[in-house]
Amino acid sequence: MLDMIFIAATLLAFAAGILYVRACEKLRGTKL
Amino acid sequence: MTANGWCQIFVFLLVVLLITKPVGLFLTRVFNREKTFLDPALRPIEKLVYRLTGIDEQREMRWTEYTVAMLLFSGVSMTLLYLIERTQKWLPFNPRGFPNVEPGLAFGTAASFTTNTNWQAYVPETTMSYLTQMAGLAYHNFVSAAVGIVLAIAVVRGIARRDTDKLGNFWVDTSRCLLWVLLPVCVVGSLVFVSQGVVQNLKTYTTAQLLDPQTVEVTGADGKTSTQTVTQQVIAQGPVASQEVIKEFGTNGGGFFNVNSAHPFENPTPFSNFFELLLIFAIPSGLTYTLGRMTGSERHGWAVWAAMAFLFLVATAALYWAEARGNPLLVGVDQRPSALQSGGNMEGKEVRFGIADSALFAAVTTDASCGAVNSMHDSFTPLGGMVPLINIMLGEVVFGGVGAGLYGMFVFIVLAVFIAGLMVGRTPEYLGKKIESYDVKMAMLAVLVLTFTILGFSALAVVERFGTAGITNPGPHGLTQIVYAYVSSAGNNGSAFAGINANTLWYNTTTAVAQLLGRFFMIIPIMAMAGNLASKKIVPESAGTFPVTGALFTTLLVSTILIVGALTFFPALSLGPILEHLLMSAGKAF
Repeated sequence: MLDMIFIAATLLAFAAGILYVRACEKLRGTKL
Repeated sequence: MTANGWCQIFVFLLVVLLITKPVGLFLTRVFNREKTFLDPALRPIEKLVYRLTGIDEQREMRWTEYTVAMLLFSGVSMTLLYLIERTQKWLPFNPRGFPNVEPGLAFGTAASFTTNTNWQAYVPETTMSYLTQMAGLAYHNFVSAAVGIVLAIAVVRGIARRDTDKLGNFWVDTSRCLLWVLLPVCVVGSLVFVSQGVVQNLKTYTTAQLLDPQTVEVTGADGKTSTQTVTQQVIAQGPVASQEVIKEFGTNGGGFFNVNSAHPFENPTPFSNFFELLLIFAIPSGLTYTLGRMTGSERHGWAVWAAMAFLFLVATAALYWAEARGNPLLVGVDQRPSALQSGGNMEGKEVRFGIADSALFAAVTTDASCGAVNSMHDSFTPLGGMVPLINIMLGEVVFGGVGAGLYGMFVFIVLAVFIAGLMVGRTPEYLGKKIESYDVKMAMLAVLVLTFTILGFSALAVVERFGTAGITNPGPHGLTQIVYAYVSSAGNNGSAFAGINANTLWYNTTTAVAQLLGRFFMIIPIMAMAGNLASKKIVPESAGTFPVTGALFTTLLVSTILIVGALTFFPALSLGPILEHLLMSAGKAF
């Protein structure tokens, strides 16, 4: 059970990273 | 402090200076895909790798694709390491029959080695099989270092290029870094270590009969104390030399043995100690020259090097002074250096290295994001222990980790030229590129992620039992142990105030999250900045352009680093090591 949680956490962490890349790219075209 | 000690420190810095240009030049040639003397041997292997993996070596990537490729590569590598740790009992090269690593520790270790942190909440020689050490941990020592280096190269390309959105090809850069830079040096370097007495074998551990049996008191799981007589000693060994060289050259820091470079099988002689120090600084120092060379301003590269060298000397001098003056509470004990003793505070230090080499190693390993240790930072005097802590808090930009030091310094450079621009009322420029609001926002995101991670997790840990349970010393020293754990994790350093018991579910998971945030959530905005800079035009220099090549720039850069670090972390330092020092002066120890 813990194995599943940790593997899922790993995948989620890197998915969050990819979303962060997209957010930074979107911010580039935005005037704040 | 002794003349001999100072001589060793200055000779080390001189040798670092001498290797900076050749290393930087070689790195430039490798990543510019120019001819090198290794091409006849390595180019066929490189072509084969691309053919097998279907990589088009001519195709370049935007910053987003480059960064996502890096994230996917790291994510898959981390999952594989987790699985190796969790199944090592059934895998080969496990002569001691170690069980599978428990899930929390396996997760923490996987994150730690993927992020180049190498924080070790376990005793390697009693936890990890040879296969886990070689195929799991040493593999990550290579690839996490390569990832750091190629990201720095991508950032340098962003500064150097104009009117493009391409920063290179992640797979090509990583392959060339592994083949041309890391593997050749590690093959030669591991043989140098073997010549000094570092072991390299796949044998099971040796059991020796003690000539003088020892009687020890052991506390059992029920809390009762019993007396045992120890008649045997188990001498751990394994493929150490091959792991030792990349441990330093890749600024990884994860030791084959628990005591790391204090172990005579990892670091047997003063020469091996010097060689380890040199390996740690070789690439980070060389990259400053690469920065200058690739951007067409070698003087800028040297100005950055000078800022790093200044901060290194200040930190080393402070650490050496603090440890050499000894412990004032040991009244009546002779702590002066002499022909028969090192003098100073020798608790937690190896006699064969003494005060100067221990202080130098601690400064180097925390200036860089290495984390290898040849002495125990937890046993330093309060002010001596504060220096490694500050080094990491400053973002490990004093030469820094392989690649990470340079791209971390890039953030401070952007902030420094931004401040300079504000002072003279002009749009800030950096090597002909205008620094605009998007760049400064990204720079601040990179700075804030470290602050948020370190102070946030430390605050949680000090107010709840799950955090304070790991403390082994009360008072300000305990606070320092906790802060150091998160500073080291978020800074991807990996050294520890080793008194803390970090092998708990709380510390294993939160330090892992801190490491992942500190590595990837810092590099993403930096890569965004690099992508943005690459797309800009070059603005011709004018009378109002702030020069980034002279002493004024170096001074401003050093000031920016110190001010950002001091404003962020001074409260934590004042409640930890500074308070401990004041209380020690008043006669109270922790």
